[in-house]
Amino acid sequence: MEEGRKDRKTRMEDVQMLNVGETGGMQVEGALERTWKMTQKDIVENVGLDDARSRSDWRLDGGPYACRYSRNGRHLAIAGRQGHVATFDWQTATVHAELQLKETCRDITFLQDHSMFAVAQSKYVYMYDLNGVELHRLSAHIEPTKLEYLPYHFLLVSASNTGFLKYQDISTGQTVVEHRSKLGPCRTMCQNTWNSVIHLGHQNGTVTLWTPNSPTPHVRLLAHLGEVTAVAVDGSSSGRYMATSGADGRVKVWDCRNWKGCLRQWSVRTGTAQGFQGAQLDWSQKGMLAVGSTNSVNVFQQPTITSMHGPLATPPLYMAHPTPRSQTSSTRFIPHRDLLAISHSSSSDKSGILTHDHVISTILVPGSGNPNYDTAEGGDPHEGSKGRREREVRSLLEKLEPSTITVDPEMLGGLREEAKVDESLVHRKQPRFQRLRASGKADEPDAMQEDDEAGTGSADEKGTVLEKKRVGKMRGRDKSMKRYLRKKRKNVIDEATVRFVGNLDGMVC
Amino acid sequence: MKISLLQHATPHPGNSGPMPVQRNPDALMHPLSRARERKRALNASKMERMFSKPFVAAFEGHEDAVECLERVRGRVGTVISAGFDGKIIVHSLARRNALQTIGNAHQGKIGGICMATGDRLLSCGHDRSIKLWSLKLPNMDDGEEAIEDSAENDEEGVTRRIKSIHLDALEDSKSLNKPLLVYPSKVPLNSIHHHRYQSLFATASNGVHVWDETKTAPITNLTFTGSSETVDVVRFNMSEASVLASIGSERTMCLYDIRTGKAERRIVMQMRSNALSWSPTQPSVFLLASEDHNLYTFDIRALSTPTQIYKGHVSAVTSCDWSPTGTEFVSGGWDRTVRVWKEGDGNGKEGESYHTKRMQRVLSAMYTSDARFVLSASDDGNVRLWKANPHERLGVLDTRERNAIEYREALKQRWKFDEEVGKVLRSRPVPKAIKTATSLKRTMLDASAEKEDRRRKHSRKGETNPRAERKKLVIAMAE
Repeated sequence: MEEGRKDRKTRMEDVQMLNVGETGGMQVEGALERTWKMTQKDIVENVGLDDARSRSDWRLDGGPYACRYSRNGRHLAIAGRQGHVATFDWQTATVHAELQLKETCRDITFLQDHSMFAVAQSKYVYMYDLNGVELHRLSAHIEPTKLEYLPYHFLLVSASNTGFLKYQDISTGQTVVEHRSKLGPCRTMCQNTWNSVIHLGHQNGTVTLWTPNSPTPHVRLLAHLGEVTAVAVDGSSSGRYMATSGADGRVKVWDCRNWKGCLRQWSVRTGTAQGFQGAQLDWSQKGMLAVGSTNSVNVFQQPTITSMHGPLATPPLYMAHPTPRSQTSSTRFIPHRDLLAISHSSSSDKSGILTHDHVISTILVPGSGNPNYDTAEGGDPHEGSKGRREREVRSLLEKLEPSTITVDPEMLGGLREEAKVDESLVHRKQPRFQRLRASGKADEPDAMQEDDEAGTGSADEKGTVLEKKRVGKMRGRDKSMKRYLRKKRKNVIDEATVRFVGNLDGMVC
Repeated sequence: MKISLLQHATPHPGNSGPMPVQRNPDALMHPLSRARERKRALNASKMERMFSKPFVAAFEGHEDAVECLERVRGRVGTVISAGFDGKIIVHSLARRNALQTIGNAHQGKIGGICMATGDRLLSCGHDRSIKLWSLKLPNMDDGEEAIEDSAENDEEGVTRRIKSIHLDALEDSKSLNKPLLVYPSKVPLNSIHHHRYQSLFATASNGVHVWDETKTAPITNLTFTGSSETVDVVRFNMSEASVLASIGSERTMCLYDIRTGKAERRIVMQMRSNALSWSPTQPSVFLLASEDHNLYTFDIRALSTPTQIYKGHVSAVTSCDWSPTGTEFVSGGWDRTVRVWKEGDGNGKEGESYHTKRMQRVLSAMYTSDARFVLSASDDGNVRLWKANPHERLGVLDTRERNAIEYREALKQRWKFDEEVGKVLRSRPVPKAIKTATSLKRTMLDASAEKEDRRRKHSRKGETNPRAERKKLVIAMAE
């Protein structure tokens, strides 16, 4: 065990040495400087030309947008509430597919890679390929609101207005399991990437944790006084922290190991935009939390957001990005980049005509992304088609069973609990360990310690230990003669005692 | 204010192909790594079972059952077999052909063969004679030693085979197959074994006799005083070269020393043994193949109990042989299987069991001297070549493949205690007849144990204490 720990420590040192990519960041140089005072304009002026080009604002029609990046951060999928769906390589500005579905689209997600994506449409979930050709209509998923994809299990998960949580295996096409949450329409969902547990936020303010293996949630938490509007789990801390936001205007950060109250909470301004209400949350790869609310998007940094603090104190800001008069519908950090995509909408009443303005802005958040990707985990932004195919085959070979999803992923490969032993079995039929234990040959650390203690103890203690053992071992009916001897004082040895002892020895042997 | 954005490291070309590869060993980058590793281990164990094809080749040539196999010293790919038809054949395992055939070496059954010093072979038979032969072995440098998979036979191999057939014909025509020497015996001989260094050999008949190569009559009679049994097998110890052991038809195992010239110790067991093999690495350890379906290892310093019982065969074990490494051994049984055992693994969970539809009762099993292959000789007159490690890939491996194989082996070792992985790794499909026999045997053993339990329950305490299985085997010992 000791060696294992040491090994882990040296391994962490190796990690530091082998990861040669440089993390970004903002560093104050004077006592009066504040990182949150830096506007996007300031940042853009201070970084290289290539990076500055990533800062963008796209004005689009078609409703508040939901957006999602592929695992390597290269491809972006957007779904507008009015039915405008598009996937593209945002770095080269190559559009893969652009669809006008002419019905409500609530969420979108890429599947195993950017060549397939699923859209939560007004009635069902649909799957499309790279060119936007419809592949499947998943008619079992009725009125879906949110989608998640579990990459290691090849599972597409949908939450819906019907209150059902459905898992569908996209490699075999089979529905794995359907959970009825019994908590009404569910409009908030996220996954814990560390253990593939699904977090749902409900209308009555509860957050529930689900796996395919239990028909009831593993955790049921009353998080907010109103509807839960967003849930996000921190991937940088092996899923230890969860952030929630509610219609009560609060953002709360929770420790997933201990659900007795949140670590920290604070208030944000919230409004409503066509189905998106309340603050939107996302954790970056380096543990920054983006809170997109009305009029601004704020980014907070570790460790202040996860340290216990007094009531309703807003943690120190890392960065603020004003989005005047608009409501955020989605915030997403881009994997392996220092970028945050915000989709926000505003409506204005200009001379009696109501106009909607939907914007997807990409802002620079220095220090939010992890520069060191892993090719085998699909993090390579320069991955070619050959590498993608190779990885797809590999990941299919290593596809995990839905039954391996547990709240503690380290449970696999651990020791099984000791089975209960049937004492009535004859010696021969007992398990080997029991037989060894019966003959005193079992390798038990506790027993050995006991023996040691007994050995070092004084003569009196030894006597008591032996006495205890004898009491423990006594079986069968108590003989009147034995009782007589026990009751008789031991230090008195008369003729009758000697005779009794003689008789007893004869009987026992 | 200092502002910087992240910079990716320049990817470098990986060693696994043309694609540039970047790794991040940080555990946080690899969620569910334990579950995925288990899945890889499961895949590796399934691959092992899938590629588990141990049979390599069969060697024909005998008209009757083959009972004797012998390695040729200093040559990996050459073995000698002798059968009930009185024929001795020298096989080349690489060329898959006979290098030399001695037809009618003995009248009737050949009792035993063994290599003498040099390229000479001793054989004995039921025709009451011992014959010394000279072997005509080809030069070592014509690529004979590499044993390739049967699928990899190329044209060259075929031409080589045709050439060697011509050679055989030539030799036969010259009638070189005459013994160098013939030693007459008064009784039929069951077994023969040569001393490691000296020009001595021992034979088993109605007793144990030691012969000098230069004399036509035995020089010593080592037979245990007062014994009148038929001795079946005699074997010299290769390390303590003057010690030899024999097994006899009266369920005995006897140790002799040619320096004292007499029998030293004898044990009588519950049932008779069929074969004996000295460990090549531990001089005091030998292995017995018993008629009671089990194999036993003994230490000669404590003959009263075997050191380990090896259970697995469902019929009498007819032969056994240690691997040259001394960590494994092979056994052949009357149940038509060949089994490979790891030393110390008494229930054969880590061992293998080989069988084919055509293989009949196995009369002899032997390791090749490179410990990679196993040979079996059976009642159907064939000698078969098997891989000792059934899923081993023969032929040249490139680095990537070897790395992958090593990684899979490590995964299997790490996860073998997992329920699912272990189940796959332990699965050994056997023919239905053997499966039925195994379960029947299990039932019978369980029933007798149950009966003993009941008897013990209804008898006075201490009267019928259970006895360890190991202590039941030897019933008498004499010095």
